[in-house]
Amino acid sequence: MKKLLTLGVAALVAITFASCKKKGGGPYAGVEGDYVSGTPLPDRIEGANFFGSNVTRGQFSPVYFGYDSFSISDSEQSKIQQVASAMKSMSNTIIIAGFTDERGTEEYNRGLGEKRAQAVRDALISQGVSGGRIQTVSFGEEMPADSGSGESAWAMNRRAEFGVVK
Amino acid sequence: MKRVAILLFLVASGLYGQEAPTITIRKGETTNVALKTLGGSDGAASTKVLQNDLDLSGWFSLTPPERANYIIEGSAAGGTLQGQVTDQRGSVVLQKTYSGGPRRAAHRFADDIVETLTGHKGIASSRIAFVASRTGRKEIYTADYDGANVRQLTNDGSISVAPAIAHNGSKLAYTGYQSGYADIYLIDLGSGARSRIIKFPGTNSGAAFSPNGGQIACTLSKDGNPELYVVGAGGGGARRLTSTRGVESSPTWSPDGSQIIYSSDERGGPQLFRINAGGGSGQLISTGYNYCTEPSWSPDGKKVAFTARTGGFSIGVKDLQSGATNLVASGEDPVWGADSRHLIFSSGSSLVLLDVPTGRSVSIVSGLGKVSEPTWSR
Repeated sequence: MKKLLTLGVAALVAITFASCKKKGGGPYAGVEGDYVSGTPLPDRIEGANFFGSNVTRGQFSPVYFGYDSFSISDSEQSKIQQVASAMKSMSNTIIIAGFTDERGTEEYNRGLGEKRAQAVRDALISQGVSGGRIQTVSFGEEMPADSGSGESAWAMNRRAEFGVVK
Repeated sequence: MKRVAILLFLVASGLYGQEAPTITIRKGETTNVALKTLGGSDGAASTKVLQNDLDLSGWFSLTPPERANYIIEGSAAGGTLQGQVTDQRGSVVLQKTYSGGPRRAAHRFADDIVETLTGHKGIASSRIAFVASRTGRKEIYTADYDGANVRQLTNDGSISVAPAIAHNGSKLAYTGYQSGYADIYLIDLGSGARSRIIKFPGTNSGAAFSPNGGQIACTLSKDGNPELYVVGAGGGGARRLTSTRGVESSPTWSPDGSQIIYSSDERGGPQLFRINAGGGSGQLISTGYNYCTEPSWSPDGKKVAFTARTGGFSIGVKDLQSGATNLVASGEDPVWGADSRHLIFSSGSSLVLLDVPTGRSVSIVSGLGKVSEPTWSR
């Protein structure tokens, strides 16, 4: 009888752990595959517009990116650290705006710009900044920093900029 | 002798028993039609539009009556067009009255001629929308499929992009940055009323109406990553479809609304993937090109057109049944017409109408600055 009980408990435990391992479900409509560890964005602050008068731009250096890439290189990491430190001594929300150079197609560039902004956001979160203080927006290939063409102009346009909400 | 007679009978009955047109499009295959100048005070104006529509459709060769299989004639005056098509024996195959101005009535007559004589849907009455930088800012414009009647739809003074017309032409969604963020707006094209319908945190863009207009597929970044979602056409009930570390963009629906093709760079460069609209995993669509974006699923479900980066950009068309992919033009952002035969795409400062089987292309919009992101009603 005791053996049966042990077996039963073991089975119950096994079943519980098996169902814990199930992927997907929840808001993902049954999607399998890579689980994304993105941190959901906080609600927007009404009226905060990256290019508006209630946001201070230029306080921090932009983070620059390689062609078709959203990964943050080692040489750009120090900029993230600067922002993370500054945010520890202020309570403001920031908006990270992502941009691309002109060479891709428009809608994909809107997505790539957003991915760059969110990569920077994730990096700040891993440096201890609360995700609830960081908004993102993507302008894709619009609003270039350098309206010229060629490698040096394009390198200036592949960027994420920081705006501090007043 | 009897055997031959039976054979002849079978062949003959086969010919007479044949219904209208097969679905196979053979390059350059056309039907001879004669267009007689329409009578009435608006006859000349309507004839001009009609002739252009028949010519652009690709289905016809305009010939003198003696060489024509069908004769097209009628009259137009006072907001009414009476149209008639007769065959070689003089039998009437189409006879109808159309209301509307000379241009609009002619377009509708042209579409009926295409449908009656070929079985395919016409494109003459359709409308397009696109982005143009004429004013110095990107705004949304609309026009007829042939580039006539260009109208500026938005005047946001911001960045207004990524327009999408519902298949029946009744409404348009687009991405606007007036709030400082990329949000999706809905415009009722009849009343002109506009509302901001999708405004989650982050970026909301790339709206595409489902075939029945009841849902919108789009890219939302609200969960921390730009992913593919399906949202109700009023903006409610966002349901996430993808879950990757990359960028998903530019969804396009299958004609029955059960599947979506989109572009994703989850494997490096952006590629085309197909997913069930109800959820599941995205399946890669191979094209032979390593940068594929902006897909458009043809209304007959058989082909997907897309932008391929090939040095510059080219329009690719993949046959989903045979698997073959061909480049058909230089340009970006193709969209299919209702006939699954024509594409409209952007090429620098022009929008181009391309007849895919013959390769014939016509510039339909120019002189509005940089034009981009065309969308086309069906």
